[in-house]
This record gives sequence, C-alpha cells and structure tokens, in this order.
Amino acid sequence: MDLSLLRVELCVAVWIFVLLAADVFLAPAKKEGLSWLALAGIGIALVVSLQPLPIGPAPTGLFALDGVSHYFKPLFLATAAAVILMTQAFRPQMPQHPGPFYVLLFTSVLGALILSSIQDLILLFLGLELLTFSLYIMAAYLKTDGRSVEAGMKYLILGSVSSALLVYGIALLYGAVGDTSFAAIRAFLASGELTLAAQTGILLVLAGLGFKLAAVPFQLWLPDVYEGAPAPVVAFLAVGSKMAGAVALMRLLFLALAPIQPWWSPILASLSVLTLLYGNLGALGQRNLKRLLGYSSIGHAGYLLMGFAVGTLDSARAVAFYLLAYLVSTLAVFLIVCAATDELGGDDLDHYAGLSRRSPGLAAAFFIALLSLAGVPPLAGFVGKLLVLMSAVAADRLWLAGIGAVNVAISLYYYLMVVKRMYVDAPPSPSPVRVPAASLLALGALILLILGIGICQAPFLSRINLALIF
Amino acid sequence: MSINAWLLPLILFAPAVGALLLTLIPENRPDLVRRVAVLVTGISLAGALHAIFHYQTAAGGFQYEVLKPWLPQLGIQFHLGVDGIGVVLLLLHALCGFTGVLISYSIKQRVKEYYIFYLTLITGVFGVFMSLDLFCFYFFYEMAVIPMYPLIGIWGSDVKEEGRVKYSKQYATMKLTIYLTLGAVVALVGLLALYQWTGAQTFDIPTLQAMLADEPLSTAQQRWIFPLLFIGFGVIAPMWPFHSWSPMGHAAAPSAVSMLHAGVLMKLGSYAIIRIALPLLPQGAVYWLPWVASIVVMNILYGGFVALAQKDLKLIVGYSSSSHMGYVLLGIACLTPLSLTGAVMLMFGHGIMTALAFAIIGQLYDQTHTRWLPDLGGLAHQIPFIAGCGVIAAMASSGLPGFANFVSELLVFMGGWDKYPVQIVCGALGVVITSVYMLRVVRGTFFGPSKPEFEGHVHDAKTPFEKLPFIILVLALLITGSWPGPMLRLLESSTGPLVERILMNEPNTAPDSIQVHSPAKPGHASASNEHSEMN
Repeated sequence: MDLSLLRVELCVAVWIFVLLAADVFLAPAKKEGLSWLALAGIGIALVVSLQPLPIGPAPTGLFALDGVSHYFKPLFLATAAAVILMTQAFRPQMPQHPGPFYVLLFTSVLGALILSSIQDLILLFLGLELLTFSLYIMAAYLKTDGRSVEAGMKYLILGSVSSALLVYGIALLYGAVGDTSFAAIRAFLASGELTLAAQTGILLVLAGLGFKLAAVPFQLWLPDVYEGAPAPVVAFLAVGSKMAGAVALMRLLFLALAPIQPWWSPILASLSVLTLLYGNLGALGQRNLKRLLGYSSIGHAGYLLMGFAVGTLDSARAVAFYLLAYLVSTLAVFLIVCAATDELGGDDLDHYAGLSRRSPGLAAAFFIALLSLAGVPPLAGFVGKLLVLMSAVAADRLWLAGIGAVNVAISLYYYLMVVKRMYVDAPPSPSPVRVPAASLLALGALILLILGIGICQAPFLSRINLALIF
Repeated sequence: MSINAWLLPLILFAPAVGALLLTLIPENRPDLVRRVAVLVTGISLAGALHAIFHYQTAAGGFQYEVLKPWLPQLGIQFHLGVDGIGVVLLLLHALCGFTGVLISYSIKQRVKEYYIFYLTLITGVFGVFMSLDLFCFYFFYEMAVIPMYPLIGIWGSDVKEEGRVKYSKQYATMKLTIYLTLGAVVALVGLLALYQWTGAQTFDIPTLQAMLADEPLSTAQQRWIFPLLFIGFGVIAPMWPFHSWSPMGHAAAPSAVSMLHAGVLMKLGSYAIIRIALPLLPQGAVYWLPWVASIVVMNILYGGFVALAQKDLKLIVGYSSSSHMGYVLLGIACLTPLSLTGAVMLMFGHGIMTALAFAIIGQLYDQTHTRWLPDLGGLAHQIPFIAGCGVIAAMASSGLPGFANFVSELLVFMGGWDKYPVQIVCGALGVVITSVYMLRVVRGTFFGPSKPEFEGHVHDAKTPFEKLPFIILVLALLITGSWPGPMLRLLESSTGPLVERILMNEPNTAPDSIQVHSPAKPGHASASNEHSEMN
C-alpha cells in the first residue's frame, strides 16, 4: 500500500492527536494558543497538499490522488484556516474551552479531504459521515444558547435521515451491481442495463449528496441551522461542507454514472431550477443576515447543480471555478460577520446599519464580497456564473441558462438590501468595529483574490483545465 | 509610439485611477477629492476631444485600437477601438462626466465616497463605448449599472407629490438596478447563444462580424437571438413598456447622476443595439425591426403625454427623455443610413440637452428646495443666467433649428419616411407635445411675477467656475446644431457601411445609401475588404 497517496489526510489525522494532547497538557490560561497550533497544522497540510502530483498510471482502488482531488484539497485546507481565524475573531461568543472545537474541525476537514478522493461508495459513506458527525456537534457548540442547540438537533435529525437514505441507496446499488467501486458501477451501467434497483439506489445516493449540497428538496434544515449555529461553523457548513458534497457528486457523476448521463441530466436540471428559485426567492424577505446567507447558499447550490446537469467536461470545470469564486467570497463575508457580530450586537440585517460610517474599510470589503456572490463584474463570482451559463448554452440548454441568468437579477435584490443597510441607514453609534489583525490580513487577501480572480481569470482557469480531466 | 496607441486606455483608466487615488485621501479633505475628480475627468475629456479631432473620417472603421489577450481559453480579448459612432458618444460621455463633476460641487456630505462611486460609473460607461469584445462590453456594462445603486440611494432625494413622499429614493434606486440587471442578463444569454452558435470561439466583435458575413447564422437562430439582445439592451434605452424605472430613477437621483444617467446611460442601450445586434444579426434585425418601429411610437407618444401631466420638474424631463429616446429607437428601426445617422446624432444632442436640463434643475432645487412646478415662478428675475440656460435647453428639446436635436430629428424623419410613413407621422406629433410641456415648464419656472419668498434666498451662478459647466453644455449644443456637417460626416462614415452590410442580404431592397456603392456583389467585396483591414 502506498501511504504517500494519503499524505495530506495523514498530516491532518496526526495533528488531531497533537491537538488532543495539547488540549490536555496546556494550562487553561494558555489555551488561547491552541488556535495558532491548529493553524500551524493546517499550514503543514497545505504545504504537503500543494506538492506536485506523482506521475503514474491512472489510480485505481478505493482512493485516488488525481487532478480533481489535488485541486480541491488545498481549498478545503484554506477554508479550515479561515474558519480558525474566524473563531479568533468570534472569541467573545465562543465558550472558554476551545480545544475540542478544533479537534472536531480537523475531523470534519479529514472527512472532506477523503471525499475529494473517493472511488468507491463505501468510502463515500465514510467520508460523508466523518464530515457530518463533527458538524452536528459543532453546530450545537454554544451549549448555553438555545438556538445553537436547536440548530445542532435539527441538523442531526435531518442529517441522520439523509445518511440512512444514502446507506440504503448504496445497499441497493451493491445489490444491483455486485460491487461498490465506481469503475464497476460504470462498467455495469455501460452494458446498457438500468434495473429498477439500480435506479432507486442511484436516486437515494443522489438524495444523500443533495442534503450536503442543500439542494431542493433536501434543503429544509438549512435556514434554521444557519441562523442558530455559531458563525464560524456556518462558514464551514456553507463552504467546506457544500464543496465536499459538490466534489463527491462530481466524482460520482463523472466516474461512475457517466454512461447514463441522459438519464440523470434532466433530473438534476429540474432540481437545479427548483433550488435556484427556492433559495433566491426565499432570501428576499429575510431579516437575519445568517438566515439570508443560508437561503443564498441554497441559490448557489442551484448554480452548481446546473453545471452538473449539463454534464460536460466544460461544465465540470465551470463548477470548479464557481466553487473557487464562491469560496473566496463566502469566506470574506463570514470573516466580517464573525468579527462584527459581537460589536454590532447581533447578526440581524438592522445591526449592520451605518457600518460604512463606522468602519469604511470593513463595509467596502463586505460590499465587494456580497457583489461577488451576486455575480457582478469585475469580481470573481461573475466569472464563475458566466462559465456555468456558458457551459449550459454550449450544451443547448438555453432555457436553463436563461433561468440562471434571471436569478442573478433576483439575488442582486437581497444582496443590495444588505448594502443599503450599511451605506444608507444611519449608524446607532459612531464607534468603529475592531477586527483582530490576523483576520484583517486574511480579509485583505480574500478581497484581493476576489478582484484578482475576477480580472485575471486566465491562470486560474488554466489550473482548473489541467486538473480536471475525466 | 504615437499617442493613438494609448489614447483609449488613457481615457478609460484616468477615472479608474482617480477612484483608486481617492481611497487613499482622508475624508476630511473634500476639496482635494474634488480636485482629483476634476483632474481625471478633465484628462478623459481632453482625450475624447483629441480622439474626435484626429479620427480619420476618410479611412473609417475602427481606430485607436488596442488589442491584448485577456482570457485566451475562451477567446476573450481586451479589445478597444472606436468608429465614428463610438467617438461621438465618447465625447458625449466625457462632456457629461466632466460637467457632472463640476455640478457635484454642491454635494457636501460624504464627498469622498460619492466621487469614488461616480468615477467608477464613468469608467464603466467609457468602457462600454470603446469595447470591441462582447465580454469586455458586458463587463463594463454591468460595472456601470451597480454604482448607480449607492449613488441614488445615499445622495438622492425622495420624489414628493403635494408635499407627501410619492416614492422613496430607496424604491427608485432598487427598481432601477434590478431592471437594468435583468435587461443585462437577458442580453447576456443572447450574447452567449451568439457565441456558441457561431462556433468561432471568439468574443471579438469585428472578427464575429467578418465571420458572420461569410457564413451567417440561420434565419431561425437570428430570429431567436435578436429579441433577447434587443429587449435586454432595450430596457436601458428605455423601450416602452420597460421604461418605468427610468423617470423614477432620474427624479430620485442627485443632479450629476441624473445628468449622466439621462445623458449617457440610456444611450448605452441604443448603442449596444447598433454595435452588436444590428451588424451581427442582420436577418433577425430585418425581421423584427418593423415591429419595433411601431412599438417605439408608443415610446414617443406615451412618454410625451405622461410628461404633460407631471408637475415635478425632474419627472417632466425624465418622461421627456424616454419619449425622445423613442426617436433614437425609431431611427434605428428605420434602418437607413440617414435615419441611423440621425439616431446617433440625436443620442448626442439629447444627451447634452438633458444633462443641461438636469444641471439647471439641480441648481434650482439647491436654491429653492423644491422642484414642484406650481411652487416655482418668476425666477428669471433672480437668476437670469440659469434662466437663460433653461430657455436654451427647452428650445433644444423642442427641436428648434439651430440645435443638434433639430438636425437629428429631421434626419430620422427624412430617412424613415419611405419605409414607415405612418409611424413617422405619429412620431412627429411628439415634437408638438414636447413644445407644449417645455413651454409650460419655462413659463412656470422662469417667467411670471417675481415671487417674494425667493428674493434674497436664490443666487445665480456668478463666478466663471460656477458658470463653466453650463457654458460648456450650451456651447456643445449650439456648435453641433449650427454646424452639424463635420459630425454628420463622421457618423456617416460608420452608419453607411453598417446599414449597407445589413441590407446586403435583402435582395429586394436597394439601400438608399448616402455613399452609394452598388448593392450587389461589389458591395460584398468592399465590405469584406474592410474586414480584413480592421483585423
């Protein structure tokens, strides 16, 4: 067995024990340092994950370190680093005892890393559970806050249902195919047989992944969980967990289910339309920022599904670009939310009134990040949306692209409502919002990335074109 | 390297660099902020003047081109260039932008943020007028729309009726932004379809044009894409029945933004139709334009009648704008070189006239704190200079000889007469309606007995600096109106070949071109020669 394939995962796994040990042996007064220790672990893993791929035959077996996973692993680690910085900014609200939180974050990142490499249904289930289990606990981490506990509970119940569906689906598929590896499923489907058991199994597996992506009709848990869970956890749910679901779905669709693309394409296309409309229309009336971002993240899942529904190599690459743009924009948004919640007194939209008068720089960063999510040039989100829409038009799905395009205009409304609070309304107090230096630095880097990806798209696109080959 | 190679980037990036510089200036230095804004828009204006005076009319085609790879994987290039149409609109925008900065001296709150958004807006519009790549075009187009939201939302004013708020500036600005974005994304789908169905893997407009001249898209495809582009861009034009955002937005915006908005932004739509929809989809255009010709008559008459009923000065000018843009769209729909030249000339004339009108209304509002027509009157006694400019703007708007508007409306009517006599007659009625409401405005605002409540409170523009923006705009109107020849020749050098190329595919219609090439095969040859020169 070649352990070097698992090098990133091993780094993270080893660091889980380092963190556990440090949590036990550090004096309570020095527990603050744990976040830096966690960051160091992510840093090491990031360096390892950026090592070039070994050149060799196409990977087989359960687990693959191929272009796709090589592209996504650093993104998961960067997300985790940003979430750790968010916990620092969010500290006034976090419990005194942060140790277990970082351990849970690491286990959940480990799950995401595994998901980006899966070649087998068993490993799909394993990665997904590892990711989700940690998130159940993290969502309920503010034990004294009823809303956080409620969020964790809801997530747990609906998450378990989806896991059950997933397992049942895997069992049915195994029954139909006689194997759980993607290659075997692909060969089975290519032979032209699509039995009822296989169809049901595939649908149930898709449902399990739809829950991770927050695609309609598996999205009901999301607004409540986003509103109640601590902001750094929501950030990881919105970026890490969604991206893990998307990567797993991408691998499943392109490696295992490619032969029956005409069968799943219309299913995903209709889900995509429903998801887009549900998310963007639902967000229109929201008054809580985290809830609004929750609905908006459902809308973004719609664009991801659109890319999958088109089912071409170009659309998969468009999805990869979209995820990158979504990652930088969403992390910037949540860094600001985490830093500002305490000083603003809450995370309702009205709490952000007059932010541009209090902290012009922070408000400008928020403005840019939100518009990037909306898909306005010259920002990253625009290019992501453009690529997805282009791939849809290229596959002669003009109607799908049309619905996606109209949703850009709908989503602009609620993002601008946040901008309106910040720029038009009067601030309740003139005091500036203080942000920790490390978060500020990260925020600056993210804003530069949003602009950089939006204006100089070529190097990012070349990177993706090289990495994503199915 | 000659100046021509970096003239367009200079015009485009001067305001962008200005906006970046402003972020570094502390907020308590409003005078410095204003000076930077005047400087960078002044540079753009000088550049635009240089461009129009050095444009080689005899050579025609796109000039001052800049071509850099941008996103080669998708065939996207950073391609700038202007033809006769573009260069005129560049000047229009530079004039409105520069005078707008001067007018904005009356903005006293949050000056720094104001100018950052304002200069971003100016950059976006410049970019649209000089883009020769569909991606660049859309990129700058959206960039021009978004800054409108904070500009109106923060510095605008609620629209009142009888002292009550009729609709708030928040409502107006959101409506404007959503409408324009909706239009833009509909057009985007059309552009993407065009890109894919051509199969050329390029967004470059001249290349696409050359390719489509050899192998046009099927008629069915053209008929599908054309309405997407026409309606998408028509929203900003603003085409009836998608115009309702526009008077509302004008009325709620601060003066300088109204100036840019009515003066230039509305022209983006008609410009996009001329630059993209007509040359790339000739058969779609020939199929749909007769319908358009009838619809835009509604623009002219409906806008005019609604303007008659208004009492808020800005709403009057706002509805009048949507009525006058009807002539522009009519000129495009007629699709003759003469009418198209008239349409672009009217874009220029109307832009300057509206900018002047909104600058004047802004001055009046700053002084009297009202735009409500019944409350005004007799202001010629207190502010003779502004009143004089107001009368000039009203005369220009009514289409009196001596102003660019007269020349261009005449050209539209003459050019379209053979094709759509009924629509032209109905449209000409609009001129009468315009005179009625403009005379009402002039009488109700400037003439009549002097009102005591304004005595001592209302001050004329006295210093040369205060008078400067008005003088620039009035001069631009008078010069182009009394001496339209050079500008018309400039425009004809671009509109003539454009219309000719579109009608080339129509066997039955011999184009009544000004520069008559023979319509059959030789015309084709000369057109393809031009393409090769352009590339």
